[in-house]
Amino acid sequence: MIPIIGLAVGVVLGLLLDPSVPLGLQPYLPIAVVAALDAVFGGIRARFDGIFDAKVFVVSFVSNVVVAALIVFLGDQLGVGAQLSTAVVVVLGIRIFGNAAAIRRHLFRA
Amino acid sequence: MSAPAPGRQRSLGASLLDQVLAETLDPAYAQAAAARAAQRAPGGGQPPAPPGWLRRSRGQLLVALTLLVVGLLAAVTYREAAAGAQGREQARLSLREDVTVESETTDGLVAQLEDLTGQVTRAREEALAASAVGQRALDQLAEAELAAAVSAVSGPGLRVTLGNAAPSADSDPVGGSAEVSGPGVVQDGDLQLVVNALWASGAEAISINGQRLGATTPIRQAGKAILVDSRPVTSPYEVSAIGDPDDLSNRLVATPEATLLATLTTDYGVVFDYAEVDDLDLPAGTAAELEFARPLDPAAAAGTSAGADTGVPADQSTDGG
Repeated sequence: MIPIIGLAVGVVLGLLLDPSVPLGLQPYLPIAVVAALDAVFGGIRARFDGIFDAKVFVVSFVSNVVVAALIVFLGDQLGVGAQLSTAVVVVLGIRIFGNAAAIRRHLFRA
Repeated sequence: MSAPAPGRQRSLGASLLDQVLAETLDPAYAQAAAARAAQRAPGGGQPPAPPGWLRRSRGQLLVALTLLVVGLLAAVTYREAAAGAQGREQARLSLREDVTVESETTDGLVAQLEDLTGQVTRAREEALAASAVGQRALDQLAEAELAAAVSAVSGPGLRVTLGNAAPSADSDPVGGSAEVSGPGVVQDGDLQLVVNALWASGAEAISINGQRLGATTPIRQAGKAILVDSRPVTSPYEVSAIGDPDDLSNRLVATPEATLLATLTTDYGVVFDYAEVDDLDLPAGTAAELEFARPLDPAAAAGTSAGADTGVPADQSTDGG
């Protein structure tokens, strides 16, 4: 329950405060969101599997976001930003779908 | 390409895709769980651990904090995306406003120009009509203006309509644009064909969508827009020609250009139609600025113009881009 409240508070804060993001970081926000989604879905699945660990969750979240943004940033510097960004999104998407399928299996036994 | 069952030894040749599809959950969770189980087992040493509820609530706090950051990130990203779209829309609207304002200014100036030109013409007529020589000069001027298409004319004639093909039934009017592209679009060459055919059929004055065609009026295409006399015209294109309606239509249909355009209609759906009209009003065209052309010897000019038909010379062609 508390984590869900935390998520809701975060969304409300973001919408109300409307912090301005430095221009340099703006292109990496969408990738960061997808990476965060991957970590969240992984956490939910681990919860259902009964092996959830808070430390692992936090570390996976931070490392996901940082590594994804770093890869895209590196790609931009090398001139393959769009392709690397696509690759990161594809892999994260596959992981999200895999975890979502596992969650679905737990929830609906189907 | 099915994922290997958990626990089966992964072969060295397992594809990357298999791996990505199989290991969607961070293996660190399983490792942490195994470490916790090993710790709890009597075999492992048991260091004094904080009471279960403290550790659990601290974990929950961490998780809640992390989810707060996630929510923040999502909200901020959404905000940025929305603001970007808003900014672009604003820029587009302000540009459109600029275009409207400038168009109105241009229209005002054009009206002023017409007004002043009318004043000059009236003053000239008054000055010249007083004497016989002046009156003759005025008559010659009127004939010349008629031939050069700088005076408004009216009379019976033909109205030819050229238009872009209707968009095909399977084009998407909701998501995509309903505009047709490719061979179904009327091009400047097609308009030139129609105009040439009309001149050859005996038209005396031609206008396209209200733009009068003179001796040097260009019909050209810039990108997707067709410009007549450097003013854009849009589909459907109404080409009005003054002349004997029956004669015009009979001779027009017999021209090779008409046959070519009919082929365009059957093959690509381009609209090509004509109708006889009893009275057409064509506006005056703009006079060309003559830099190098000089008038002939006045006596010779008077001799030729007196006997000449105010019809159009047979080899008049419209300038193409």
